[in-house]
Amino acid sequence: MSTANDTTPLPGERVSLLRELGKYFSIFRIQAANRLAYPLDLVIGSLSILMFMWIFLQLWKATYASAGQTTIAGFSIPATLWYLMISETVVLSRPRLWRPISESVKDGSIAYVLNKPYNFLLYHASMGLGDGLLATLFNLILGGALVWLLVGPPPAASGWLYASLAIFFAWWIEFCFSALIGLAAFATEEVAAFDWIYSKILFIFGGLLVPLDFYPAWLQTIARFTPFAYTVYGPARLFVAPSLPAFLSLIGQQLIWLVVMGSIVVVVYRIGVRRLVINGG
Amino acid sequence: MLKREFVFFLALWKANLLSAMEYRAAFISQVVGMFLNNGVYFIFWVIFFERFKQVNGWGLSDMFLLFGVVAAGFGLANYFFGNTMALADIITSGRLDYYLSLPRPVLPHVLASRSIPSGLGDFVYGVASFLFAGQLTLEAFARFMLGSLLAMVMFLAFMVLVQSLAFWLGNAQLLTQQAINAMVTFSIYPITLFDRTAKFLLFTVIPAAFMGALPAEYIRAPSLARLLVLLAGAGIFLGLALVVFQLGLRRYESGSAIQVQL
Repeated sequence: MSTANDTTPLPGERVSLLRELGKYFSIFRIQAANRLAYPLDLVIGSLSILMFMWIFLQLWKATYASAGQTTIAGFSIPATLWYLMISETVVLSRPRLWRPISESVKDGSIAYVLNKPYNFLLYHASMGLGDGLLATLFNLILGGALVWLLVGPPPAASGWLYASLAIFFAWWIEFCFSALIGLAAFATEEVAAFDWIYSKILFIFGGLLVPLDFYPAWLQTIARFTPFAYTVYGPARLFVAPSLPAFLSLIGQQLIWLVVMGSIVVVVYRIGVRRLVINGG
Repeated sequence: MLKREFVFFLALWKANLLSAMEYRAAFISQVVGMFLNNGVYFIFWVIFFERFKQVNGWGLSDMFLLFGVVAAGFGLANYFFGNTMALADIITSGRLDYYLSLPRPVLPHVLASRSIPSGLGDFVYGVASFLFAGQLTLEAFARFMLGSLLAMVMFLAFMVLVQSLAFWLGNAQLLTQQAINAMVTFSIYPITLFDRTAKFLLFTVIPAAFMGALPAEYIRAPSLARLLVLLAGAGIFLGLALVVFQLGLRRYESGSAIQVQL
């Protein structure tokens, strides 16, 4: 028995929610399986991180030597390299979903998706997650192996667990930005330039090429007010200095940004769909 | 004969520009977007040298010069020879058929048949970066233009060389992406960071030194020897690229797909 105000889901509703989630999980699984069918592509696609890490080692070895210091802002050379390995992994594996989203808006194929029994944004998120998970995994394995070889093991084993979860939530914040760039096609034809500029802002405020701790204090303050500090810097810093309080604090901040960005994406999507005009068929 | 080819190229570039002007807003957004993209990226080096001043003899003005010549060379290549990074795709998808059926040299025709507007943004940023380096004389600007042209030739040659592998391997797109990443990434870091073995690789396997460090050195401290090394490097790699492309072209085969050239 239940009343109108009872919020406990009925058994049928529970099944329906599971079926709903299962639908997106299937999309994710199929996309991941598609990518796994070409393991060589995944390996070649992850070669960039090897090149970057090797260049970073040369750069930071020379920089530490020029500065005459063994630690800078609390980072030793190995800690800096491990930090950069995680920050590069986050950025190299970030979703580039703005491309398919903007294409489907521009060529009108979004119309075919709107009447399908799935959500347009969640469909793309599931596809992107299938790609992103494998790219992250391969970047972590190849990049981690090289950095381990060059500067020794990471500071603490627990960093792997904490950072993995933080990378997962960072991916979703990244997805929100990528979706917003793609949805900008509702208003303007060419959206690639938005992604170029966005990615460089992410580099700077996210601390991709250098930990935020190396920045002047005023720039660190600005960066920490942006979501980028919690998508790139956060997981990478957590990896080299893992602790439960730091982990909980980061996840909390990531969730706040996820709610903010997710709400903006939903609103923009609804406005865009309302304005959508498609000619022909 | 050279004049005839030059007139042909001018006609291609003009057609590319007119085509881009049909989508003026997209053209401008790409040019401005790429300029801003480079500018925001360069903030990293400003922050870096603000804190560390010099690394192995390199300072901020050297980075302005290096980044300027690489951006300008890369931009020229993409604007005037916009299919530079799509050659492997054109080969594997059989789209060379169209160019083979016309009485013009195949490779330059393919490369120049498209302009990427963002290349113009790269080039303009390169010039701005050169000006920030503080070498404000006409001679230095002439050296910068020459250095940028040679950087462009080196980038084109390397891209053709790598993507011609598509004649043998089939799908070479991932390899192409990695080659672009390697060439551009290695060219925008100070060469003094690298040891002898790495430098040897940067002059041979991934000739990024010819695209970045050497032209920058020539602009900063010109000498005949440096110019000759630059010219020789560009000449050798361009010659090699042409030979490999021609060898590959003999192996080229395509299906009967109907291609439409827009």
